[in-house]
Amino acid sequence: MTVSTSHRPAASRSTAPSPSTGRAASIPRAKRRKWATKGHLIAATLVTLAFVSPVYLTVVNAFKPQDQIVSDPAALPVPPTTRNLTDALSRPDRIIQIGLTNSLVTVVASVILIIPIGAAFSFWLSRRSAPLQRIVLAVFGAGLMIPPAVLLLPTIRILTFLHLDHTYTGLVLSNVGGGYLAFAVFVYSGFLRSVPGEIIEAATVDGAGTLRIWWTIVMPLLRPATATVAIFLSLWIWNDFMNPQFILGPLHGQTITTGVYQSLGQFSTNYAQLFGVMLLAAVIPVAGYLFLQKQFIAGLTSGASK
Amino acid sequence: MTTRAHPRRGDPALGAIAVLTLGLYALFIVVPVIMSAWKSLTDENPLKPQTHFVGFDNYTEMTHDSALSDSLTFTLLLTAAVTIAANAAGIGFAILLNKTSLSYRMMRTVAFLPQVLSGVIVAFVWRYILAQDGILNDILTTTGITDKPITWLGTPHLAMFSVGLVAAWVLTGFTTVVHLAALQSIPVELYQAAKVDGAGRRQQFRHITFPMVAPGTTISVTISMITMLKLYDIIAVLTSGGPADSTQSTALYIIKCAFTDNRFGYASAVAMLLLAVSAVIALSVTGLLRRREVDL
Repeated sequence: MTVSTSHRPAASRSTAPSPSTGRAASIPRAKRRKWATKGHLIAATLVTLAFVSPVYLTVVNAFKPQDQIVSDPAALPVPPTTRNLTDALSRPDRIIQIGLTNSLVTVVASVILIIPIGAAFSFWLSRRSAPLQRIVLAVFGAGLMIPPAVLLLPTIRILTFLHLDHTYTGLVLSNVGGGYLAFAVFVYSGFLRSVPGEIIEAATVDGAGTLRIWWTIVMPLLRPATATVAIFLSLWIWNDFMNPQFILGPLHGQTITTGVYQSLGQFSTNYAQLFGVMLLAAVIPVAGYLFLQKQFIAGLTSGASK
Repeated sequence: MTTRAHPRRGDPALGAIAVLTLGLYALFIVVPVIMSAWKSLTDENPLKPQTHFVGFDNYTEMTHDSALSDSLTFTLLLTAAVTIAANAAGIGFAILLNKTSLSYRMMRTVAFLPQVLSGVIVAFVWRYILAQDGILNDILTTTGITDKPITWLGTPHLAMFSVGLVAAWVLTGFTTVVHLAALQSIPVELYQAAKVDGAGRRQQFRHITFPMVAPGTTISVTISMITMLKLYDIIAVLTSGGPADSTQSTALYIIKCAFTDNRFGYASAVAMLLLAVSAVIALSVTGLLRRREVDL
């Protein structure tokens, strides 16, 4: 900054009025910049508000009775009612309670299995030859690109063969074996490249076994990668729709996404009910995101810069 | 051996995990692809007692299946349009939000929200917004932009547009955050040095911002396209492929062939086609964008 000011005083922070002759230009630069900053903030705010208006509509209408949703959809809920939420929770099919429980179980079981497997495999891979690493990562990368619809039918056949079709075990197993595992291996492998080999070397000299090195040294070092993997996999598995819909099937329980789909497909004009169910279905991932947003963005950023 | 930081080769525990991982991956990615390839050569149908090997009959049938060519056209059009729209919007949005004060950080948090919601919920909200008596038509008619409500989901062309709009909305959350991260990773010193050398704003954009953001764009465009080729939930809820199959993406068509028509063999052949199309697009675009990065 100092260099720049010494060369071109008028270009940066100078508060001196510009020597220009026009009236507008006689306004001090600093003042003009302040207005520009304000204008920028207003523009950014307006664009952001327009962008999130669908989310806004969901939140405010979840707390309004049906007639108010129809007459004044964009208004704030005054006075707010919790009727839609209590109605959603007291539905005879208990779709919210059952869906949330099933989704939670599926997510936790899948992520708890993928993390140690993915991390240990990446550690193993990081100590193989470079060509082998390249081949394995290329094969895993290809797996990330395959549309799930391509794999769905054979996956169901394999699960049927294992007698795991229409079960949560089958759903979790296909989560653990599929593209999600490939994602975990990608993140861990990328992160492991930045871990200095000397740390592991020292432990090896000390005579620690590989599994112990992995658990006591590598896993703590990988913590930021684990945060990324856990956050994104939880979100994706939670929001997954196609796999639970076809692997579980409608008769074998619902996750929150398939439950919302089944129950809301029927009434498209009962908006009070619709927004009540949707708010409750969305609140856990959104709360998790707002709570962990720093890690979310960091994970996305580190992933995108690779 | 120990000095080269290689664990003893005999250590069985990690090796067992490696075998397990590769086995799981093979079972749920590699084997399904091989099974699809094999089944695409048969007439398998769960309602028929026997399955026959039919050679390339399914592939021959695909060449004159107009529902398939329509769905493939729609998928490719949607992928291209949404990828361009979402990345253009993401770049613009990122430039607008490229400040570090609290209010801008809050806006960034908000901009990513569509990515956190499940496609099912997103599609239900938009189904409400785009309904005949929905809020969008309310706004359009009361402000006098249109005199009649528009059937956003009711006619083929508008429904195709609406699916694209909703998908672009979701993806923009992602493209914005990626481009914002790319913009904010550019060292301020580069701009200062350029200013010293007398570079104007346009030159700074051309020689600093653009090349420095390019790797972020590569990632963003690639992931956008893969996401669009995979897209299922938003379409399933928003239009279920209608009206008149106009928004039936190839992913939806595979599901329809397999689970509605029970034509496992034919569905597998369509799946192989989608796999090939995805592979070609992903590889060529990544290659193309990578080359552009080097050129600059």
